[in-house]
Amino acid sequence: MTENELILRLREGEEPAFKELVTQYQDRIFNTALGLLQHHTDAEDIAQEVFIQVYRSIHQFKGDSLLSTWIYRITVTKSLDFLRGKKRKKRLGFMRALFGDDNQPAFEPPDFNHPGVQHEKKEDAALLLQLVNQLPENQRTAFILNKIEELNYREIADILKTTESAVDSLLQRAKQNLRKKLTGKKNDPG
Amino acid sequence: MEQDNINRADRILKSLDGLQKAGAPDFFYTRLSGKMQQLEPEPRRSFLLRPVFVTAVLSVVLVLNVILLTQMNDQSGSKATVQPTSPATIESFAKAYDMNTESLYE
Repeated sequence: MTENELILRLREGEEPAFKELVTQYQDRIFNTALGLLQHHTDAEDIAQEVFIQVYRSIHQFKGDSLLSTWIYRITVTKSLDFLRGKKRKKRLGFMRALFGDDNQPAFEPPDFNHPGVQHEKKEDAALLLQLVNQLPENQRTAFILNKIEELNYREIADILKTTESAVDSLLQRAKQNLRKKLTGKKNDPG
Repeated sequence: MEQDNINRADRILKSLDGLQKAGAPDFFYTRLSGKMQQLEPEPRRSFLLRPVFVTAVLSVVLVLNVILLTQMNDQSGSKATVQPTSPATIESFAKAYDMNTESLYE
């Protein structure tokens, strides 16, 4: 089935088409959300929300970009919104920092181990991902899309609605900032 | 010492190289379907509350009001002009109620 056929069938509300879409994209969406959120359950929740959003708003997809770009964009937006919400909750004080609104612990585990990291690199990768979390949003997103989801500059530029040179610059600054954090030097902003 | 630091930083920065992508958990679609069935359908605004409909109704009411007011003004205007310039009407009214000036002093 071509992408256009899939979109047409999704617009008709065909369940087999939706199942095919989920089968095609679930790993990519989950992997991206996991890289950004660094939490398995949150990543699964966000991935589900992404597909629900796609199902509901497929009529609004104009075809200006690839379907994959549009779905990645929804994933990035939802993941970053989720992280912003989490940060907001943290600011609400000690009690809410310990227990979220729905009595779920709001603190994050100190180390996240990505399941795809080679065993001998686990410790280093956990530290690196922890530092990636401290990067500005745009640098962090570009870094995760490039390193975790292995997208090329063109694909990242389309998702972030920017240019390839801007993506290159974001990645360079992300690496510089990470290196400075690792060597204990002062970071560059934004 | 500084070289060790640099080497360590390089090693850590390369720790994500060769990473295998994570796959979605098992039964992802089943759980997604369950979640979608649990979710209420998106709230749809009633047709009566749509701005276009509300504006149209208000416009019709406004136009009807204007027409009604114009007609009322026309009617009252015509009465006001006819009555004082019609002595026949006054005389007939006075006759009907026996209000002639002569009869008053009789």
